[in-house]
Amino acid sequence: MMQEAPMIKITNLEKFYRTEEVETIALNKLSIEIATGEFVAIMGPSGCGKSTLLNILGMLDDPDAGSYIFNDIEVAHFTERKRADLRKHNIGFVFQSFNLIDELTVFENVELPLIYTGVASADRVKRVEEVLDKMQIMHRRNHYPQQLSGGQQQRVAIARAVVNKPKLILADEPTGNLDSSNGNDVMELLTDLNEQGTTIIMVTHSEHDARYSHRIIRLLDGQSVMENIMV
Amino acid sequence: MIKNYIKTAFRGLQKNKGFTAINILGLALGLATCLLIILYVIDELSYDRYNTQASRIFRVNEDLKLGDNSVQYAVCMPPLAKTLKAEYPYVENAVRLKNAGSWHVKKGNSTILENRLAYADPSLFAIFTLPMINGSPSSALTEPNSVVITETTAKKYFNSINVVGQTLLLNDNTPFKVTGVIRDVPKQSHFNFDFFISMSTWPDSRSNEWLRSDYNTYVLLKDRTDAKKLEASFPALLKKFSGAQMQAQVNMSIEAFEKSGSFFKMNLIPLTDIHLKSNLSGELSPNSTTQYIYIFSAIAIFILLIACVNFMNLSTARSSNRAREVGVRKVLGSDRKQLIAQFLTESVLVTFVATLLAFVAALFLLPVFNQLSGKELLINGQSLVWIVPSLLLISLIVGGIAGSYPAFYLSAFQPVEVLKGKLATGFKGSGLRSFLVVFQFSISIFLIIGTLVIYNQLNYIQTKNLGYNRNQVLIVQNVFELNRQAKTFKQEVKEIPGVINATMTGFLPTSNWKNTSIYYKDATLDQKKSLFPQSWEIDEDYIKTLDMKMVLGRSFSKDMPTDSNGIILNESAAKFLGLNDGINKTLYRSQGGKHSLDNVKQYHIVGIVKDFNFNSLRESVSPVVMTLAENTGALSIRVDTKNLPALLSQIKDRWKELSPNVQVNYSFMDQEFDASYRMERRTGQIFIVFTSLAIIIACLGLFGLAAYAAEQRTKEIGIRKVLGASVSAIAGMLSKDFIKLVFISIVIASPIAWYLMNKWLQEFAYRINIQWWVLVLAGVAALLIAVVTVSFQSIKAAIANPVESLKNE
Ligand SMILES: Nc1ncnc2c1ncn2[C@@H]1O[C@H](COP(=O)(O)OP(=O)(O)OP(=O)(O)O)[C@@H](O)[C@H]1O
Ligand SMILES: [Mg+2]
Repeated sequence: MMQEAPMIKITNLEKFYRTEEVETIALNKLSIEIATGEFVAIMGPSGCGKSTLLNILGMLDDPDAGSYIFNDIEVAHFTERKRADLRKHNIGFVFQSFNLIDELTVFENVELPLIYTGVASADRVKRVEEVLDKMQIMHRRNHYPQQLSGGQQQRVAIARAVVNKPKLILADEPTGNLDSSNGNDVMELLTDLNEQGTTIIMVTHSEHDARYSHRIIRLLDGQSVMENIMV
Repeated sequence: MIKNYIKTAFRGLQKNKGFTAINILGLALGLATCLLIILYVIDELSYDRYNTQASRIFRVNEDLKLGDNSVQYAVCMPPLAKTLKAEYPYVENAVRLKNAGSWHVKKGNSTILENRLAYADPSLFAIFTLPMINGSPSSALTEPNSVVITETTAKKYFNSINVVGQTLLLNDNTPFKVTGVIRDVPKQSHFNFDFFISMSTWPDSRSNEWLRSDYNTYVLLKDRTDAKKLEASFPALLKKFSGAQMQAQVNMSIEAFEKSGSFFKMNLIPLTDIHLKSNLSGELSPNSTTQYIYIFSAIAIFILLIACVNFMNLSTARSSNRAREVGVRKVLGSDRKQLIAQFLTESVLVTFVATLLAFVAALFLLPVFNQLSGKELLINGQSLVWIVPSLLLISLIVGGIAGSYPAFYLSAFQPVEVLKGKLATGFKGSGLRSFLVVFQFSISIFLIIGTLVIYNQLNYIQTKNLGYNRNQVLIVQNVFELNRQAKTFKQEVKEIPGVINATMTGFLPTSNWKNTSIYYKDATLDQKKSLFPQSWEIDEDYIKTLDMKMVLGRSFSKDMPTDSNGIILNESAAKFLGLNDGINKTLYRSQGGKHSLDNVKQYHIVGIVKDFNFNSLRESVSPVVMTLAENTGALSIRVDTKNLPALLSQIKDRWKELSPNVQVNYSFMDQEFDASYRMERRTGQIFIVFTSLAIIIACLGLFGLAAYAAEQRTKEIGIRKVLGASVSAIAGMLSKDFIKLVFISIVIASPIAWYLMNKWLQEFAYRINIQWWVLVLAGVAALLIAVVTVSFQSIKAAIANPVESLKNE
């Protein structure tokens, strides 16, 4: 059987942070491969470089050295513009602190990525309603983020992340601000998405949440120390 | 996409109502002020441009130097106009105007005193664009005793505009035929008359004298003629005509005249320059100066800058609150260009709303402004044609400029950093913002100092000892209306109880009566020992009535029959002639006509009067000589009474007895004096209003900034309070940064203001010194304003319940 090329292949990735006194090595010659359709959890102690890795994978940040091949394209040295372009068509983000725009309603927050990718207005309405329905927050479509509970806000954030049908979803501690019941709902949603074919990479501190994934990558001081395959 | 920008912008603005209100209010106030100033400036610049041939019309000015005296005239010799037209083919036409003073015009059984009358040559309507709605422009002013009147005047006297052929009774019931009705002379004209009387009515207009100047003379040059060409021919022309007459009358060639350091020159001023650049002797109406245009334009730009700075400051101050939005948008795929577009849209939107508001405000403020400035500016269909597009343009430009800094600043945020909450927050963060606050306050302090100096100077002018006493003096104008009985009138008035004294002459320090004449120190009429002073005719009561002081000798007296050949000099005339002890010395004056010694009149000096101001206080006192002669221009009455109305009615009764048909006209000397400084006072008032506006706008900005600084530090304040900090300690901590900036502004603005205001004061011959306390006062005022503004916010933040602020996180 022919081995399919991985969606993500990073090799010897390095990231340093320099402040006046110290140089922090956030990522130290890290090499990882992630295949299309995988659900990967990244774990490790605080400060080991999980968020840094996720930001680079999401093309929000660029590495100082090493290679990052995304869908057969080397993106490590892409300009900001090119990265933004690639990002908006392929990647959805879910954050611990939701990061919804306070001035926009639920509907408008979810609609935003479609605007940036230039989807026509009638189409947008249809697609936003579709996801809102799926996330069961349709009845809240005209509310503002402040009027929602944390769990609801995270569902809106996930709706926003998936509305563009991205191939990859990056989630940085998506359940970190939620109680366990709301947290489980979010994990179910992510699992559903994964079953429909979306690749998911999630940073988490919770062994419980990590169990939803296929594979756990454990980081320590910017290096991968262990990989557990879930069964 | 743009819809989304506008929607977000709108919601954002709505959410931050306070910020939005301050931003829009400040900008609207600034724009409204700007709009008013633009209207004012455009009005000033539009003078005489109603003339379709304006670019080809020039006025001939005369430049005269006699010994050490020099005068510039807006008037020229009687035969100049017709000579220019006859001698130079490229002079298409020429016209003379002569102010005719005040005339009584009969309407029914009563008479009305009109003072906007002029004599004019028939060519008037071929040169100036004064459309005639009734009558024939080419012949209207040909015949003597013809008069062309304006539409409004026609309606006033005849209730109709079809009045050609009708008769008006002017001055002593002389009949004048109305030969034309023209549209009213536009307000923006350097002359403004209601009656144009045919020049041929005035016999002097046929005079062929080339040695005196009393006609405002305008030429219309042919197309594509260089005015310099005509100017270049003036010396030869003067030599030919004035030179010949000089030789005949004073036996002096023009070469000898020039050799003695004197000269006669003429030059041309473009019609459209007259209102702003000409302030000569013999203007048809007082003109303005470009100085005010510059000052007001500068203020307009300052105010707009301050408003823009507010906008930028408040927007960037708010940036930390929006950083997360920027981050999220970037993560979701927005690129920098789109973000810049978004922020610019937002700021243009705000400016646009502010512009609309400014326009409405300007509409409401216009009547007030008109009253203040003495103008009749209006916003009508015509002005809207340029106002609307320029307002749109301004809102685009201002919105663009004001929005660009926040736009570039905010859009450059890195999403990774922002979402981590690692943005440098707080007021201290921005050096540029501090710079802008300093800039704003420097301008405000500069304006405060400027206002104080202007105010003090105007106050000084109004209270300065002028060398005469203008209070309690009633002036009855045009006593010549009483003909022979003028003297009787004076006598009778003097007997009324409450009247202290009365003097009959038109030559008063506050009047426009001026007369110049040449006096010589020796009988040979040596040019080098000549004086070219104001030469006034007065009576024996003049010095006493006006409360002037003799520094040497005595005033004229009835008991001295030789006083008819006496002369009184003012100090500067005496100094000029080197006659400080000159009592009983002699001065000579040519009687005109042929030059010979028996044509010379002698005067012996009886006294020297202390200098008194009769010009604008911008100029120093010039030489004046006074001779004893009957002049019935006016009767000035010094009164001392508690019951002025009763006294007035007695004076009116005396007049009525002598002349039942002519109305008495009177004024008060102090009011006349004030009137001559109206322009200055107005400018001062406008300046004060604009300064206050600038300061208000600057404070609005500071208020907003302080509010944000406090808001950003809400959590810090909460924690400090929990730990035991007092309200005053917190308010002080928050105010400190701003106060420091205001101090820096004081240090920057004070010397600049001191220097520039001193320069302005140089224009006044009589001026104040800028006192150190003015600078201190301005600084303290600015500081106080800033402290009050900022501490309002600081205290509000400091007394807030810490539980509230900590809960928010
Ligand atoms: N902007 C920065 N400047 C300096 N050091 C940084 C910066 N961002 C991250 N670091 C450092 O890089 C290292 C990795 O940070 P990172 O945020 O990736 O950790 P993390 O694994 O996500 O931790 P946590 O579980 O607490 O979120 C840390 O030591 C951190 O101090
Ligand atoms: Mg992290």
